[in-house]
Amino acid sequence: MQTAPRPSRNPRMAASLYQARWLVVFLGLPLLLYSVWVIYPFVRTFTLAFASYDGLSPAQWIGWQNFREMFQAEAFRLALWHNLIWILIFITVPTSAGLGLAMVLNQGVRFDRFLKIAYYLPLVLAPVVTAMVWGWIYHPQQGLLNTVIAGFLGILKAVGFDVNPEEARNIGWLGDPKLALISVIGAAVWRQVGYVMVLYLAGLKTLDSEVLEAAKVDGAEGWTLFRHMIFPMLAPVTTVVVVISIVDSLRSFDLVNVMTNGGPFNSSEVLANYMVKTAFHDYRQGYAAAVAVILFLITFVFTLIYLRQVMQQEERNT
Amino acid sequence: MKRRIWLVAALGAFLLTAGLTQSNLTGRLVYNSNQSDPKPRALDAKIVEAFKKKYPNLQMEFNTVDHETFQDTSIRTYLASDNPPDVLTWFAGNRMRAFSSRGLAADITDVWKSNNWEKVYPKGFQALSKDASGKYVFVPVSYYWWAMYYRKDIFNKLGLKEPKTWDEFLAVCKKLKDAGYTPIVNAAKETWPQGGWFDFLDMRVNGPAFHKDLTDGKIAYTDARVKKVFTYWRQLVDNKYLLENPAAYTWQDAANLMIQGKGAMYLMGDFLRDQYPDDREAAELDFFRFPIIDPKVPIGEEAPTDGYFIPAKAKNLANAKAFLSFLGSKEVAEMAAQDVGRLPVRNDVDVKTLFKDKPHIQKGIALLADADDILQFYDRDTVPEMARLGMDGFVKFLSNPTQADAILADLENQRKRIFGQQ
Repeated sequence: MQTAPRPSRNPRMAASLYQARWLVVFLGLPLLLYSVWVIYPFVRTFTLAFASYDGLSPAQWIGWQNFREMFQAEAFRLALWHNLIWILIFITVPTSAGLGLAMVLNQGVRFDRFLKIAYYLPLVLAPVVTAMVWGWIYHPQQGLLNTVIAGFLGILKAVGFDVNPEEARNIGWLGDPKLALISVIGAAVWRQVGYVMVLYLAGLKTLDSEVLEAAKVDGAEGWTLFRHMIFPMLAPVTTVVVVISIVDSLRSFDLVNVMTNGGPFNSSEVLANYMVKTAFHDYRQGYAAAVAVILFLITFVFTLIYLRQVMQQEERNT
Repeated sequence: MKRRIWLVAALGAFLLTAGLTQSNLTGRLVYNSNQSDPKPRALDAKIVEAFKKKYPNLQMEFNTVDHETFQDTSIRTYLASDNPPDVLTWFAGNRMRAFSSRGLAADITDVWKSNNWEKVYPKGFQALSKDASGKYVFVPVSYYWWAMYYRKDIFNKLGLKEPKTWDEFLAVCKKLKDAGYTPIVNAAKETWPQGGWFDFLDMRVNGPAFHKDLTDGKIAYTDARVKKVFTYWRQLVDNKYLLENPAAYTWQDAANLMIQGKGAMYLMGDFLRDQYPDDREAAELDFFRFPIIDPKVPIGEEAPTDGYFIPAKAKNLANAKAFLSFLGSKEVAEMAAQDVGRLPVRNDVDVKTLFKDKPHIQKGIALLADADDILQFYDRDTVPEMARLGMDGFVKFLSNPTQADAILADLENQRKRIFGQQ
C-alpha cells in the first residue's frame, strides 16, 4: 500500500530548505572566520577610535577627542601629505614605466622572457628584504649609490673639473629630511614597475588583433597607433592599475618602517607607520584606531571605484 | 604514642619529598629575552643551560627577540595576553613603573627576602626594584655606564689628552677636525643616542636633580635653563664637530666609522665594546667622563640597569621565582661579568679580582663611584611617548640648529598633554 503524500509539505519548499541547509554548512565556516577575523576587529577599531586605551588597562570613552587631537598634530598632517605625494608619484611614474616596458616586451624583443622575469622579480622579494637592500644601497659611506656618484665625480675630476669625489659620501639619502621621503618612494617605485608591467602585458594579450590589423591597414603606426588605438583599448586595465597604485601607496608601511621608521623627525612618515608607532610605542591604541579609521575612509573611496570597475567588466564579459 | 611516631615519620617523609620536588622543579617555564646581540645572546643561552642542568625535569622554553622589537611591541603583547611568558627581561626606572603601576608585574618580595638580597644589593638598586607601594617587582642584575668613547691611538698621534672641561673638549674637537677626522661620530637612525646627548648636556649644565624633574614632567621644556642646554649642543653642531646626517646611520654604522678610523669620539654606552674588534680594543678604545661644563653642578652619570620581572598573569609562578633566584645569584653575576664584562649589581661579587686584567672596567666603576647621582637614560626615565617625541625633536634640532626654540615650544605642548593625562 502506498502512503499518501503528506499534505503540509510543498516539495519546492522542501527543496529550498534542503538547499538552505547546505548553504549554512558551506557558508557557515567561512562566515564565522570572516566575522572573527574581519568584522569583529573592524567594528572594534571604530569603537576604539573614540576611546583612550593603552592596551593594558580598561578603555575609556572620550568622544571625538582623538580626532580633534589628530587633526592638530603636525605628525599626522605630515603623514597625510606624504601619503598624497606617494599617490601622485605612484599613479604616474611606475604606471608609465610599466606600460612602456609592457609595450616594448610585447613586441617580442630578444630575451623577452628573461627580461619579463627580471622586471617582475622585485615583486617576489618580501618588502622587508627590498627595504634592507635599498637601505644598503642608500648607505652614505658604503652604499652603492654614493659609490657610483663618487666614481662619476672621480672621472670628472680626472678630466679637470673642480670637484671632490669624497663629498658624495656625505649624501644621506635616508638621513636627510629633504631626501628621505623621495628615497623611500624610489625603492617602492622600483618594486611597483614590474607589477604594473605584468598587468599591462596581460591587458595587451586581450586586445582584439583584428581591430589592430585593420588600423594598421588604414595607415596607423607607432605613436598614432598607440595613442588612438592601443591606449584607449587598454582603458579598463589602466583604471585597475591606477586604483591599485593608489591603494598600494596608501598601504605603504613596510618600506617606510624598515628604511626610516618615518624619520628623521617625521620627514618620511606615512599614516600606516604613524598608526603603528602611536599604537605600539606610545601605548595609545585608541588614538591609533582613530588614525586607522581615517586611513580606512580614504582607502574605501578608491576601493569602491575599483570594485565598480571590476564588476562592470564582469558584466560586459558575461 | 606509637601512632605519633608514625605521624612524625610520615610528616618527615612528606617534607623530604616536598624538599626534593622543590629542588627538582617540574612543569613548564617560559623565558623570553631581549638579549639579541651576539655576545649577550651567547651568555643568555649559557645561563639557561646552567639552570636546566640544575633542574633537568623542567620543560624550559627560551626565546630571544630582537631588542627593539621586544621593547616596542612584543612586551605589550605578552603582558596583555592571558598566558604570558613566565620571566621577561626588562629595564629599571620608568619603564618598569609603567607596568607595576598597572598591576602587570608579580610581587616577588618573597624572592628578595628568601635570597637575602637586601644585604647584597645596594640601596639605590633596591629602590629601583620596588613598585609605588614598596613591593619588590624587579631583579636588577647588571648595569653599564655611558661615557665619551675615543680612539686612544688617534689621540696619541695628535698629542691630545682626555679633556676634562668643556673648553678642553672643544679644543680637542678642533684639533681632530683640522687633522681631517670627524671629531664625534653620531647616530640618529634610531633616535635614542640623542637622548644620551641631551641627558649629559642637561646634567652638566643644570645638574642631575633638575634633569630628573624634567624627565618626570615637572619642568617646562621652554624653561630658560633647558634652552641653555641647546646653546652648548649648538656649538658642536655649528662647528661641524658632530658627524653630519646622523639620521642616515644606525648606532652600529657610526661605530664602524670609528673602527675604520674616520671618527675619533662617540658618546655611547659600554655595549660599544661588543661592537669593537676584540684584537684592537685594548690598544685603541678608551673613554672619559662627559666633560664638565659648570664645576658648581653635581656630577650625574648614566647607568641604565637591566634585569628581570615576572608578569602578574604568569602561569608557572613557582618555576619563574626559582629562575629569578638563579638569575639574581652570585653565580650568574660572576658569569655575566666574566663573559661580557657587565658590571654586577650585587656588591659581594669581587670586581677587583674578576676584572683584574680589564682596566677599562675598573675605570668604569670609578667613573660611577665618583658620581653624585646616577640616572637611567632619557627613554627609560620619562614616559615612552614623551621619550619618542623628545628624541625626534633632538634629531630635528641637529638638522635645524637655529630652530631650537620652536622645537622646544612644540615639546612643551606635548609635555603638557602627556603629563596632563596621567
